[in-house]
Amino acid sequence: MRPPGRRACAKAIAFVVVAACPVYLAAQDADDIRQQQANAASASAGKELFQQNCGFCHGPDGRGSSGPDLIRSALVSHDVNGNMIGLVVRNGRRQKGMPAFGFSDVQVHQIADFLHSEAEMASTVARRLPLEYPLEKLLVGNAEAGRTYFKGEGKCSKCHSPEGDLAHIATKYKPIDLQSRIAFPSGANPSVTVWDASGRKFEGEQVYADEFVVSLRDGSGWARTWNRALVKVEVQDPLAAHVALLSTYTDKNIHDLFAYLETLK
Amino acid sequence: MIARVLLVALALELYGSAQALNPNLIQHPAPDGWPTYNGDYSGKRFSELRQIDTANVGMLTLAWAFQTDVASGPGLKSTPLLVNGTLYFTEPDDVWAVDARSGQQTWHYHYHANEGLHIGQRGLGMSQGHLFFETPDAHLLSLDAKSGEVQWDVELADVKLGYWATMAPLVIRNHVIVGVSGDFNDLHGFIDSFDPETGKLQWRWDALPKRGELGADTWPKDGDAMEHGGGMTWITGTYDPALNLLYWGTGNPNPVLAGYTRPGDNLFTCTIVALNPDTGKLAWYFQPSPHDVHDWDAVQTPVIVDADFRGVPRKLLIQASRNGYLFVLDRANGKALLSTPYEEINWSEGVDATGRPVARAEKNPSPAGTLVEPDALGATNWMPPSFDPETGLLYVDTHRCFSLYYDLSSGRPEGFAGRDLSVWAQSFLKAIDYQTGKTRWQHDLGPGDNWAGVLSTAGGLVFTGDVHGNILALDARSGETLWHAYGGGQAQAPPITYELDGRQYVLIGCHGVLYAWALPEAMVKRSQQ
Repeated sequence: MRPPGRRACAKAIAFVVVAACPVYLAAQDADDIRQQQANAASASAGKELFQQNCGFCHGPDGRGSSGPDLIRSALVSHDVNGNMIGLVVRNGRRQKGMPAFGFSDVQVHQIADFLHSEAEMASTVARRLPLEYPLEKLLVGNAEAGRTYFKGEGKCSKCHSPEGDLAHIATKYKPIDLQSRIAFPSGANPSVTVWDASGRKFEGEQVYADEFVVSLRDGSGWARTWNRALVKVEVQDPLAAHVALLSTYTDKNIHDLFAYLETLK
Repeated sequence: MIARVLLVALALELYGSAQALNPNLIQHPAPDGWPTYNGDYSGKRFSELRQIDTANVGMLTLAWAFQTDVASGPGLKSTPLLVNGTLYFTEPDDVWAVDARSGQQTWHYHYHANEGLHIGQRGLGMSQGHLFFETPDAHLLSLDAKSGEVQWDVELADVKLGYWATMAPLVIRNHVIVGVSGDFNDLHGFIDSFDPETGKLQWRWDALPKRGELGADTWPKDGDAMEHGGGMTWITGTYDPALNLLYWGTGNPNPVLAGYTRPGDNLFTCTIVALNPDTGKLAWYFQPSPHDVHDWDAVQTPVIVDADFRGVPRKLLIQASRNGYLFVLDRANGKALLSTPYEEINWSEGVDATGRPVARAEKNPSPAGTLVEPDALGATNWMPPSFDPETGLLYVDTHRCFSLYYDLSSGRPEGFAGRDLSVWAQSFLKAIDYQTGKTRWQHDLGPGDNWAGVLSTAGGLVFTGDVHGNILALDARSGETLWHAYGGGQAQAPPITYELDGRQYVLIGCHGVLYAWALPEAMVKRSQQ
């Protein structure tokens, strides 16, 4: 079981539609965005109220201390706009040592919004990579060791150069995207050469290929497709060296390379 | 001739005078039936049918196609049941009864709008005239197989807490056995058994122990980590009638990627358990992924095989697990006979004295990212494998894949507490020799992740699909493609086969279309004369 990945492939198609709806679909139009902003403001006010009044027992994030974890609570899960949380807050639970609080309707609503946003954080946000992943978390490698690997063992310099294709690379990609592209850079299509039965040669970028047909787009811009059983086909995958690297990379190699490429501003 | 008379007699007994299914006879399905998720109790997904074989499979043609017409959602991921000429299959909020000869709909049931996760629905269970259906919001329904009308409805778990349900219930005598899903939140998994007539709970087996119980010492002594430790039970198990043991795999622990919050092996998560189906009592357990931190549940079908293992006749249980290891167990006691990787992995360098993989701590998720093979979707996943007793090969849809695993936890981690970023994947159908774990042949199914299940037949064929949407018939001995058709989308509803009126059909679903393939009618008639 797993939520959607960021790789643009079948996995994303299979999972993204259903697994991500609570958060992704919410931002579809301006009304939704305004509503989200209002909820966020309310949750922020609720957070302050909660930390001042409830945090001592339930923890500042609602995840429990001497009092129970409210983020995993069935009552909070079933609450709608404070309708259940309000009853407990205003009446207290004397036998369990919780006093009653005289909050207004608006305040109860704000506390409920805070707890619901924390619950959503735990179940959805905490399994998504943030778009702005902190650079300092990724910068654990040694740039000099990365440069040595680039020129030596990694054989990166066979295809890449810091002054050529990788010049200013750190300004082109967000840190987390740069790191994932070091692990494997997606997006480069194979180039295909086809010789048909009469010996004519066709070259171009692969459009589609399976074990039965191959399709390429040649210089004219037209896509052409052949039955593979009837032609000779050669496929050059520009990423073949990266596939091979996946089996030899250590985590230190990746972190060092990342530290090195981050210096290419 | 005698065999045919016996088969007809068996079929009559199986389905009785009405259209109902006698659960005592599920262990010997007739050729015109597929009465459980796996076709029988063994999980082999092997059929004795041989009308379609290596010589004529190239002639395979479309018999009919059924369109579900559900505009959005995950499409067909269910294995159809076939009982007395009617197919029953599902999508998350829908159940269809469809004539197996023509593809014409008999009835359709639509469940009300609900907030459960609509990630997939894998099929039904059946007993007498009742169908059992798990809904996205974790209810179990009994439907009248004649009409689709609801007979009873019980809540398995609270959808508001983050539970959902996708699996096909398993009927054993007077037990309807079900599991649940939900690992976005820190919940606990369980297996329930219900009375098929009344919907009354008979027993519950909890995947997480309570203080003082067996396995509790594999969790932290303080706090509530064990109570919220996961172990979802989301794929249908198998059953050995002779030993009267139910075999079931459990899901990953929670918080999923933040293992430091739950030091210990975390029983009974990522575990294969053997239960008494009458009581729910644990007979034995084997844990494929002790203290998992990569989301590699061990729910993959525990396939039951009676065969020689290194010269000795054994009662075996075989699992190709999501973590990349093949396990061959003695299913009487759970002892490992073989534990070896069937796909390339980098997170483990070997096994302990009991056959459990030993993890490399440096491959745990980290804030700076850790390159792990396989990725969180695993070396395989929910798609069912197939075991062919004639070749002795286990056919598995495998993924060779890498991810960067990030620990995103802060404060008190809950839920996933991290994320993996898949960077590369390639899919294969592997034919694995269960005696050694070695791959006899592999068939490249294309870049990315494939989700087709597998069927093998006595015709010497293996049916599956590739990542592009091609439906494939392969030679079971060599992996060579003998027939294919483009299905217009990835096959995610596992293939089944049956014979009606002397004609063998192979069913496989792609997105919202269920295809039935057969030899041309004229050719089948000729062969019958």
